[in-house]
Amino acid sequence: MSSAAFSQTGVSGFMKPAKEGVVSFSSSSESYDKVLLVPSEIDGVPVFNEVSINSYNLYGEYGLSDRFTISINIPYIQSEGEATSATLAENGFENKRDGLQDLSLNLKYLIKEFNFSGSSLSLMGNLGLETPLSSYEVDEGLQSILAIGNQSTRVNTVGIATFKLNNGVFATGQLGYSLRSEDVPDAILSQLKIGYAAEKFYGDVFIGAQKSTSGVDILGEGFQGFFPATEVSYTRIGVNLFAPIYKDFGASGGFSQIVDGRNIGTATGFYLGLNYSF
Amino acid sequence: MKSIFLNTALALALIIGFTSCESSSDYEDETPSIANIAVSNSDFSTLEAAAIQGGLAITLSNSNAGDPSGNFTVFAPTNDAFSRLGLNSETLGVLQDGFLTNTLLYHTSNGDLMGSQLSTDQPASSLLGLNRRFVERDGELFINGSKILATDVPASNGTVHVIDKVMIATGGDIVQSALALQNADVFITPELTFLVEAVLYAELAEALTASEGSPSFTVFAPTDQAFKDLGAALGLTFEVPSDIRQLPQDVVASVLLNHVVNDGGKFTSEMFEGNTAPLGGDALMYGPYMNGTLGITGQGNQAPANMVIPDVQATNGVIHVIDQVLLPVL
Repeated sequence: MSSAAFSQTGVSGFMKPAKEGVVSFSSSSESYDKVLLVPSEIDGVPVFNEVSINSYNLYGEYGLSDRFTISINIPYIQSEGEATSATLAENGFENKRDGLQDLSLNLKYLIKEFNFSGSSLSLMGNLGLETPLSSYEVDEGLQSILAIGNQSTRVNTVGIATFKLNNGVFATGQLGYSLRSEDVPDAILSQLKIGYAAEKFYGDVFIGAQKSTSGVDILGEGFQGFFPATEVSYTRIGVNLFAPIYKDFGASGGFSQIVDGRNIGTATGFYLGLNYSF
Repeated sequence: MKSIFLNTALALALIIGFTSCESSSDYEDETPSIANIAVSNSDFSTLEAAAIQGGLAITLSNSNAGDPSGNFTVFAPTNDAFSRLGLNSETLGVLQDGFLTNTLLYHTSNGDLMGSQLSTDQPASSLLGLNRRFVERDGELFINGSKILATDVPASNGTVHVIDKVMIATGGDIVQSALALQNADVFITPELTFLVEAVLYAELAEALTASEGSPSFTVFAPTDQAFKDLGAALGLTFEVPSDIRQLPQDVVASVLLNHVVNDGGKFTSEMFEGNTAPLGGDALMYGPYMNGTLGITGQGNQAPANMVIPDVQATNGVIHVIDQVLLPVL
């Protein structure tokens, strides 16, 4: 029942100009008390009733050239349950798991840019690597409902197309494949984003999805209590906003909601961030 | 230009829609596992917690490797069934994990035993190794003392029938069952410690121990509090089990035999209002059968004893734990 926050492509549809970059610190919070099991949604997370996940992300992005953008993200995750003290005692469980999760490193390449009168279309390719930064637990049976990640290394290849009008309106589509180690099923990642990007304001709405290519269902045939091996697929929608606040500093924020899927909590999430551009 | 924008957006949306969106319509027709049924139905939340604590949640998620059909049949007690014993997901910790596991195994059998196959002529084996029997009463079907509320809930790995009482079996005979409670192998705190002491003092252990050709009994087993209450009523102080030895041995034997009925061992579903002769002492009066239980009154009692834990199956009978000592005319 890992959180969707663990598996975003984590890349935007824009390139950073050469030698320009951004560093941001953000804090996100998501929670769920319903879980999309197969064949139906259940009310109340088994054992833990409700799960809340707070994450703190240190993110950096830099234009190596006009055609190469590199980005890095380091997340610290706190995952907390609401199991009663009696339930914890009966099963020897704890209501909290936390730690440094997975380093995310992405290299984005601008393959081709088409300029039309009043608009442009950019085609990009992204190669990403995600790998655990700590030895957080993933194989503690049902305790691992609170696991902060799945302890796998992933190689993500994502194709990105961004169509942009000169007035700032844009649409970005992403489609990728995530190759995953440690019995974690590979996944197809996708996202469609429509928004407005200008000097004084940025905003988008998105629909994103992950579809595992294999895996078992929680409490279904083949499930051995090892959550990383489950088929985690979902669709989520959301909003991202950004505005400069003072000189090179800006503020970002957003909202997201899991709207469909399997083997995942119907998480509602928010984040706030502070950005420094250079 | 707008048309290029819209076409691009539409194309991207279609690509994403067809390749990677997950929808509950993809799987909503799938049949859930037995474990999933327990987790997704709020009437089974105590069963869910029991399966987790008893270590059977994973077993009941998967096919049954012990049966060619790959299926289990589970008689699933509702939350109300657990509540009769004072149990819910918050209080299951009063039970030993091993006993909880065995209790769940007693509710489970190999293969599909469909509702149409449940028959009073044919006992059903359990994964604990003990058989359960079916009883018909007033047109309703019981398994042991538990009423079957619903049958044939389909699961991907078997069949679920819903029952109104938790079925309990220790796997031992009457004496071993009492000893299991005394040794805290059932509850984490000892129970029936006075009864076990009384049986030893009255030298009745052998008579209640199963052996080749030995009879089966219905036994009413008073709790420790019941013995303490008796002590107070007699003007004595029963603090520890050995205090029972303040009473003459023949009196203790007579009182104990007043708790044993040589009737083959009856579950509540097989007991009827009226008088019954125990092995010793005076006739016991069974009260009316209400809500799956009966009050039991000894000739020397002012009020009926209530069944605290009814229908505990032993290999040589059935034990009903009660909250009063059944007194003959002393």
